[in-house]
Amino acid sequence: MSATTAEKAAAKGGSADTGSGAEDERQGTTPRGPLPVTWLVLLGLALLLPTSALLWSGGWPDSLGVDAVTPLDSFADWVIENRQTHPLFLYFLLHISNVATDSVDGVHNLLESLGWAGVLGIAAALAWYVAGAGRKGLKTAGIAVGALAAIGLVDLWSPAMETLALMVVAVTAAAVLGTLLGLAAGLSDTAQRLLRPVLDTMQVLPSFAYLLPLVLIFGTGTPSALITTVIYAVPPMVRLTSLGLRGGAPAVLEASRSLGSTPWQRLWTARLPLARKEMLLGLNQTIMMALSMVVIAAVVGAGGLGESIYSALKSRDFGQGLVAGLAIVLIAVWLDRTTAAAGERSGAATGRWAAGIAAMVGAVALALGQILSRSWPESWTVDVTAPLNSAMEWVVNNFYQDVPVLGGTSAWAGNLTTWVLAPLNDGLQALPWWSVMLLAASLAWLVGTWRGAVTAVLALACIGMLGIWGPSMYTLSQVLVAVAIALLLGFALGILAARVGWAEKLLRPVFDTMQTLPQFIYLIPVVQLFNAGRVAAVTAAAVYALPAVVRITTQGLKNVAPATLEASRSLGATTWQQIRQVQWPLARPALLVAVNQGVVLVLAVVVIGGLVGGGGLGFDVVKGLTASELGTGLTAGVGIVCLGLMLDKLTQPSAARKPQ
Amino acid sequence: MTAILDKATPEPIPGGVPADADTVFTVRNLWKVFGPKADRIPGDASLTDLSTAELRERTGCTAAVRDVSFDVRKGEVFVVMGLSGSGKSTLVRTLTRLIEPTSGTLSMDGEDVRAMDKKRLLALRRNRVSMVFQHFGLLPHRTVLDNIAYGLEIQGMAKQERRDRAAAMVAKVGLDGLGERRPDQLSGGQQQRVGLARALVVDPEVLLFDEPFSALDPLIRRDMQEEVIRLHRDEGRTMVFITHDLSEALKLGDRIALMRDGEIVQLGTPEEIVDSPANDYVRDFVRDVPREQVVTVARAMRPPHDGEADTGAALPPDATVAQGIEAVARGGAPARVVSDGKLLGVVDHERLLAVVAGIGLPATPEQAAEDVVQA
Repeated sequence: MSATTAEKAAAKGGSADTGSGAEDERQGTTPRGPLPVTWLVLLGLALLLPTSALLWSGGWPDSLGVDAVTPLDSFADWVIENRQTHPLFLYFLLHISNVATDSVDGVHNLLESLGWAGVLGIAAALAWYVAGAGRKGLKTAGIAVGALAAIGLVDLWSPAMETLALMVVAVTAAAVLGTLLGLAAGLSDTAQRLLRPVLDTMQVLPSFAYLLPLVLIFGTGTPSALITTVIYAVPPMVRLTSLGLRGGAPAVLEASRSLGSTPWQRLWTARLPLARKEMLLGLNQTIMMALSMVVIAAVVGAGGLGESIYSALKSRDFGQGLVAGLAIVLIAVWLDRTTAAAGERSGAATGRWAAGIAAMVGAVALALGQILSRSWPESWTVDVTAPLNSAMEWVVNNFYQDVPVLGGTSAWAGNLTTWVLAPLNDGLQALPWWSVMLLAASLAWLVGTWRGAVTAVLALACIGMLGIWGPSMYTLSQVLVAVAIALLLGFALGILAARVGWAEKLLRPVFDTMQTLPQFIYLIPVVQLFNAGRVAAVTAAAVYALPAVVRITTQGLKNVAPATLEASRSLGATTWQQIRQVQWPLARPALLVAVNQGVVLVLAVVVIGGLVGGGGLGFDVVKGLTASELGTGLTAGVGIVCLGLMLDKLTQPSAARKPQ
Repeated sequence: MTAILDKATPEPIPGGVPADADTVFTVRNLWKVFGPKADRIPGDASLTDLSTAELRERTGCTAAVRDVSFDVRKGEVFVVMGLSGSGKSTLVRTLTRLIEPTSGTLSMDGEDVRAMDKKRLLALRRNRVSMVFQHFGLLPHRTVLDNIAYGLEIQGMAKQERRDRAAAMVAKVGLDGLGERRPDQLSGGQQQRVGLARALVVDPEVLLFDEPFSALDPLIRRDMQEEVIRLHRDEGRTMVFITHDLSEALKLGDRIALMRDGEIVQLGTPEEIVDSPANDYVRDFVRDVPREQVVTVARAMRPPHDGEADTGAALPPDATVAQGIEAVARGGAPARVVSDGKLLGVVDHERLLAVVAGIGLPATPEQAAEDVVQA
């Protein structure tokens, strides 16, 4: 997830620079804070909302609803009945399905036949070669060997290879598709205009939402898992390819033009080579996104490490889940370092000798792989799950309840439910539909644009008409609480990290790991500490969103022009004055991005919380997946999409739009 | 606008030299307007008279080049000079239609450039006109050699041949031994030498320079200027040179077009510009120019007195006054101005000092020569 966050933050931060001139002026010249109209609107809402809740009945009226579940169910039935016979399936979808299965199986068989030594050796040789050979390549190769060996050591070699096979196919497909779309978007303004909103929307959607249609068409199994992963992983490749093509140094392109190059010549000799770095970064992020889908893919039948985590979640096996999660992190680190090193190399040619050495190492490893046992030797494994589980047990035993003064996690969970979650949910449920819409519209308009406000209202209307107003408000209340927790903690830690060097050094590796861990990992300990239910989902969501919020906050505060900060220091400002008067206002765009990211990430986990009794829309999706109530599940999926769109619009600052 | 386009033969510029076989570029009434519906501006008399700011306010358009006419003669270094925003970089790009002119006529060797189809235009850019850019525009992922060969590659030349030709060029611009480096391993001056080599390797008729040395350190800049002077002396290639640096313009230019707000305010030799500025703007511009570096001894000479015809140092008529001062100071006597063995006149310390002080000089060299003859 770290990839998306950084990319999105960069995109938004970049455009915020150009767009926030008017806002800056407003802040610069008026010490009286926001415009009066803001206060008027907020005051109006404060008066209106309680009144409306008292005088009108809450929720969405049945008369305005549309029954979507029944037709969807019958459609699902039709699909299931005709899956084997209808030409659409026979001649098109079945082929996709077969190709997906065959290619993943093929790669898996290949990996198996290489043997563990072969995989290790080839990964190392490849890492060394793409990192530019020589000394620097050694480090990258070392990381590759270390990561893979550690996976073998904790006895996860075999599921890791299954996951790797899926990753190889998914990333290849996503990279090819993303490059093609990116070429279109990079070369044609029309394509860019068409693709951009699609990519923006895809980035805010929890992938959980579009699992069901795929399951409906392809059934559970490799094809669904693969396609979900590809869909989820494609946007960064498109975005960065387009960015790279558009960002090529104008001086170079003009020079090429002045020499009489045709557009095609320019593309091949200048634009694509100049975009190399961005495209490799895109590949890097695509890999990271694909890896973050491993567990979700397992929910629809992908197997591998994801399956280990998913079953650990079901059996509350913390150790097993964490170790499998860390194995995913290790794969991520390995692939991340390798692709990042390839990107940094800036195209300096590695000589033939380097290719020769790499090929030799690969060949030797291959031979070794044939001689030694195919799978990781049993005797070289260590059991780390048991100590992890006993550690977790110790934590639960000591903190769950009866802790003097503090009360214990069980009591906290109770309090959070009684005093925060329940009242908020009750309040949202009690509000009449139109006042919720008014609230969303006003907020979206105040923060962003009237266009955002219209989108937010339409999304809410869609939720109401589908008849899932109740569960949606239920989910919304959890999202709001989790976001509040994540922002409170995140801003505090962010300020700390921005001001205190060692704090950032300490937090960074922890957060790097946390951002790569699959969301599901967080659910296991919180369920043990807080019981299954809303609080577990909310806590896991807040923890999951925390790294991104802290990171963006820190970056925003640190990116404040050093000259401005120095000027304020030279005037004798105290630390607190510097934060409040210089860093905070100047970092505002970045902080708004942090809020936006926090909301998007929180929603993704709150929805998954349906698996651990979080209720709401997530539970409906789970029901759709497990109890074949496809109509309910699909409707809930649409509801999640709408909720995501609305929340994104509510937190998307207007400065993110580029002035024409 | 059509009226302007229809002009088949270029008209002489008022006060300029008529176009003839020796001109490379002929530019008449050229306009480049950026903005919405830019086409209507040049033909509309009520708009063309507006100042830049007024025009922007009224129409939202910016006229980067306004009604510009000039000729570039074969073998000369034609300098276009102006401050940033004066439209000089836009002007030079319109010559090969890297920026499409809005109206006016533009021809090269008598061929209408604006009427060229895509193929002809590419051929023009590939073979006849090369450009050197301020920010070099080198391909960062290629070696020096491959960068120099880039233009030949675009022409479709085979790899071995183009690399051979590029290798020959490496030595010519003083980059021996650096052929396998990458641009980011070179200094700014070296990078610009690559840019120069890339432009030269296609053996173009005309070289366009767009502020090529502005991004370089002063010392390197001087080296590069010398390099250009040397190249021009050796090959006599026509050059159009854009700069915002007056001393660079005076040093390199055979003729200088001084631009302001998209218009040429004065066109003439360095001496004419320094010595008889067309208006206050130009006067202000050249105020600090050391005149002895620009004015020639031909302008400062007087008729020889008795006995002076055979004594004293001999100077060519295009020697600068600074050189004259040196000769007079060394010899301790007036110096003779000699052309093809013929005595034209004499410069003494009084006349030379008058130039430095900026007083009492004939307006042109022709007039000075006439004065001498009459005396």
